[in-house]
Amino acid sequence: MTHKQMRIIDHPVLGAMNERDIMTFTFDGHTYKGFKGDTIASALLANGIRQLRVHEERGTPRGIYCNIGHCFECRTTVNGVSGVRACLTPLKDGMVVTSGQTEPVPLNSEHDVDELPRTYTEFIQKQKAHEAGDSDA
Amino acid sequence: MDKMIICRCEEVTLGDIKDTAEQYDATAREIKLRTRAGMGYCGGRTCRPAVDKVLEDITGEKPGDQIPLKVQPPVRPVTLATLGGRTNDT
Amino acid sequence: MHDVIIIGAGPAGLSAAIKCREWDLNVVVIDEFPQPGGRLLGQLHQEPNGEWWNGIKETDALLQQATDLNTDIRCGVSAHHIEKTNNGYIIHTNEGILESQKLLIATGAAESAAPVPGWTLPGVMSIGAAQVMTNVHRVRVGQKGIIVGVNVLSAAIARELQLAGIDLHSMMLPIKSSVTAEHAHPKKVMDGLVRIAHLAPSAFLRFGSTFAKMNWIRHLAVQFYPRGGVKMWGMPIHVRKAVKEIHGTEHVEAVTVCRVTPDGEEIQGTEERVDVDFVCIAGGLYPLTELAAVAGCPFQYVESLGGHVPVHNDRMETPLDGLYVAGNITGIESAKVARAQGEVAGLSIAKSVMDAVELIEHGIDNAIANVLETRKAASIQFHPDIHEGRAKVAEAFVEHTQTQ
Ligand SMILES: Cc1cc2nc3c(=O)[nH]c(=O)nc-3n(C[C@H](O)[C@H](O)[C@H](O)COP(=O)(O)OP(=O)(O)OC[C@H]3O[C@@H](n4cnc5c(N)ncnc54)[C@H](O)[C@@H]3O)c2cc1C
Ligand code: FES
Repeated sequence: MTHKQMRIIDHPVLGAMNERDIMTFTFDGHTYKGFKGDTIASALLANGIRQLRVHEERGTPRGIYCNIGHCFECRTTVNGVSGVRACLTPLKDGMVVTSGQTEPVPLNSEHDVDELPRTYTEFIQKQKAHEAGDSDA
Repeated sequence: MDKMIICRCEEVTLGDIKDTAEQYDATAREIKLRTRAGMGYCGGRTCRPAVDKVLEDITGEKPGDQIPLKVQPPVRPVTLATLGGRTNDT
Repeated sequence: MHDVIIIGAGPAGLSAAIKCREWDLNVVVIDEFPQPGGRLLGQLHQEPNGEWWNGIKETDALLQQATDLNTDIRCGVSAHHIEKTNNGYIIHTNEGILESQKLLIATGAAESAAPVPGWTLPGVMSIGAAQVMTNVHRVRVGQKGIIVGVNVLSAAIARELQLAGIDLHSMMLPIKSSVTAEHAHPKKVMDGLVRIAHLAPSAFLRFGSTFAKMNWIRHLAVQFYPRGGVKMWGMPIHVRKAVKEIHGTEHVEAVTVCRVTPDGEEIQGTEERVDVDFVCIAGGLYPLTELAAVAGCPFQYVESLGGHVPVHNDRMETPLDGLYVAGNITGIESAKVARAQGEVAGLSIAKSVMDAVELIEHGIDNAIANVLETRKAASIQFHPDIHEGRAKVAEAFVEHTQTQ
């Protein structure tokens, strides 16, 4: 969808979108345009961008979920400040936005995350299995 | 279905929560501590009703008047600078 | 030290602020959203009489009054903790600390999820997210979508998406799991819909009357629900189909849907793939009470109000001295009720700051009567047993104040 198609310029009840100043910003190094009155999230979506970050550990893609500040799924880094909710942050001219990335998990780095115990129960089971394995050897 | 994520922040699945609840006869608080459901960035705003529902399904009881999972401040993640108590109120 | 801090600039917070300013109190309203209005901003539905309820216009009207009274409204300010002191409250925000004698928490509601596998993919969002994107930010959430969860809110917002030129495949249930329970149960969903249909906007009304009001007909309706769904504004509503899984690698590409029995169990061999680029999840609303909880307010669990609500009386006082609540934090109802409750809270606060003034007392009585009338006349109701729920909370307040 092009920029224009994503915008609801005319609306049968709300009327035409009022004239708004255009603002330029970057997201992960690419330059985009949005309108004054946009949030970072709405400006990005208007440019067809849905993915705002990946889950810090598992790397799964994430985008907006609630769009009103409750879920924190839309957190991006804005002008160097991390953990900023894109859905609540008004777009400003010249903003530098970067997506949330996976974070190194130092202690677990030699493990595949999918193999790590997910719960305390699993942790105990894995530990027991590990101990059993050790005594066998 | 058990692989479905319930807590989006910590990627805790329905299976994780059910297993923990059944194995330990756990309260919402214990589930939170053992699985990390509701302990992520959002503070449980998204998964709290869902976790409560799973528990209701297992125990067959409606929640009591106490909020099943104690709400801890800060209810929004804050930077250390903010917590330091910068005051701009005059 | 301010006379009163109001957290939340939705219809409840704004109308309370207006009343407080009319009595010349020193008020600060804070809200974390970039503009005032709360969830009222996104609302757009046709009343049974055909008139449009336009949230932007309603917000503008409230803001005009607030501005005329020089109300201090600060947006982009997020409260994360509240402490009670001997003579008031300390409110911790991202912009520093605020102190006041009285505190009104009017933080509204949050959405409960009705999760289905794959719901973390970008392009899956809550139904409210789509409402705000469409009507407030004027951006289409996608080209073609499907709505998971059949209830009064999702029906209203589905219409809003259509008005904005967004193509909807259909509206159907989430697949049954221990989390989606009642949202995935065709009979329960149908019961809920029919009980509210007589109140709701035109097309919804027709939807309801298709299935009459008698239990046995409802039963048959679920049993013999048309395969093609029942159309509302040209969009099929299915109560015998469910979304089973959402697919995609970087974002939503398709969903798998299946037919379900009248009890919501999947009918094997009925899977079907539907291409969509967005999915909206509608699992209902619950009162956003976190700040009342950290402030130490007692709670009451009332299902018809949406879950746990802070104990309060009809003057919007809580058992904590100087702490007030108004709007959806006290139970899920329409914006008109929230606005009416805000007026009561504002006047109650004014009265306690200004000492007993006869005139205010009279105003409070009128404002309380107005809440009751607004509730009765509400064209959107989220739960049929709202009156019983309200009565239960009022009793709890009496109990709490007696034991203190
Ligand atoms: C997503 C959504 C969609 C809805 N759509 C409809 C609809 O179409 N029709 C209908 O009749 N009702 C709808 N409702 C119900 C709605 O709650 C009421 O109609 C009405 O808006 C409630 O008013 P309120 O003033 O209590 O809260 P709100 O209007 O929700 O206002 C609360 C305000 O508090 C702010 N806030 C919350 N927490 C904090 C904090 N910690 N710090 C600072 N600010 C905070 C929020 O940003 C928000 O602006 C919807 C609710 C939601 C959540
Ligand atoms: S999308 Fe939920 S906080 Fe921004």
